[in-house]
Amino acid sequence: MDEAQLIKGIQQGDRKSFQILVETYQRMVVNTCLGIVHNKADAEDLAQDVFLEIFRTAENFRGDSKISTWLYRIATNRSLNFVRNNKRKRFFQSIEDTFTGGRNRNSEISENRGDQPDRNITDQQRSDLLHRAIDRLPEKQRAAFTLNKYEELSYQQIAEIMEISLASVESLIHRAKKNLQEQLLDCYKKKCV
Amino acid sequence: MKTKCIHKDLIFYLDNELSFDKRTAVEKHLEECADCRSFLAFLQEGMQIIEKEKNTEISPFFYTRLSARLNENPEHQAQSQWARLSQPAFFLLLLFIGIYSGLKLGRNASTTKENNQATSVQMLNDFAAEPIESFLLDEL
Repeated sequence: MDEAQLIKGIQQGDRKSFQILVETYQRMVVNTCLGIVHNKADAEDLAQDVFLEIFRTAENFRGDSKISTWLYRIATNRSLNFVRNNKRKRFFQSIEDTFTGGRNRNSEISENRGDQPDRNITDQQRSDLLHRAIDRLPEKQRAAFTLNKYEELSYQQIAEIMEISLASVESLIHRAKKNLQEQLLDCYKKKCV
Repeated sequence: MKTKCIHKDLIFYLDNELSFDKRTAVEKHLEECADCRSFLAFLQEGMQIIEKEKNTEISPFFYTRLSARLNENPEHQAQSQWARLSQPAFFLLLLFIGIYSGLKLGRNASTTKENNQATSVQMLNDFAAEPIESFLLDEL
């Protein structure tokens, strides 16, 4: 079944076509979300939201771009929104913590780590360090870097997904790497891992 | 003589994004500089995290869960959406009622004050209508 038939099927509400679409692209969408949110459960929830949006708005798909481009675009936007909302929640949480002694935040962190019990401490620290560095990148740099690193997409594909020029993608990824390098160097000098 | 560290080039070296000349220069420097070699290893370990994360297994029940969400009653969804919208609308309404009643109360309060003034003026006028001399004469 080619892309056009798949989309036509979904537009007509055919569940079989939708299942084929999900099974074909689920890894790609989860990986993209994971690159931005850094938590497997959240990434899977977001990926499900992406597919639900696809199913419910399939009639709006004009077929100008590939399905994967459409999926990447929705996945990136939803993940960035999720991170933004999380930041806002964390801000209010920190205010609450000042009054309650910070018990809630600690339990949340231990819950997040609970899904990878076999990872050793250094791996976890290294992973946290990299995630923190990626999280500090400006949104556009983060999206471009994630699509390039986690999905190994070419600059041309990233330009199509983000609807920007090729030169902008090059610049975004260059600046993202430079920023990451600076943050990691800072940590290396302070010996935080 | 010790050459200057080239930390800033190493992430690009790792991604094979340097020109041939620059790459050769970096490799030559790495042979001599232990600090840059150590930072390169640190960067490599960090970037390997991404490689590990890329191979994360997806839950085998991904589609089953998605299908269940898709089967959710659309009426229920519409209801929950209505509930989500009605809550801020209710608080907004409450806020407007509060502001309106505040304004109304304020206006009433100022009207009462004006009335009080009018009454006192009237009392004064009553007093003027009956001068103290006539009042005292009546007593006699």
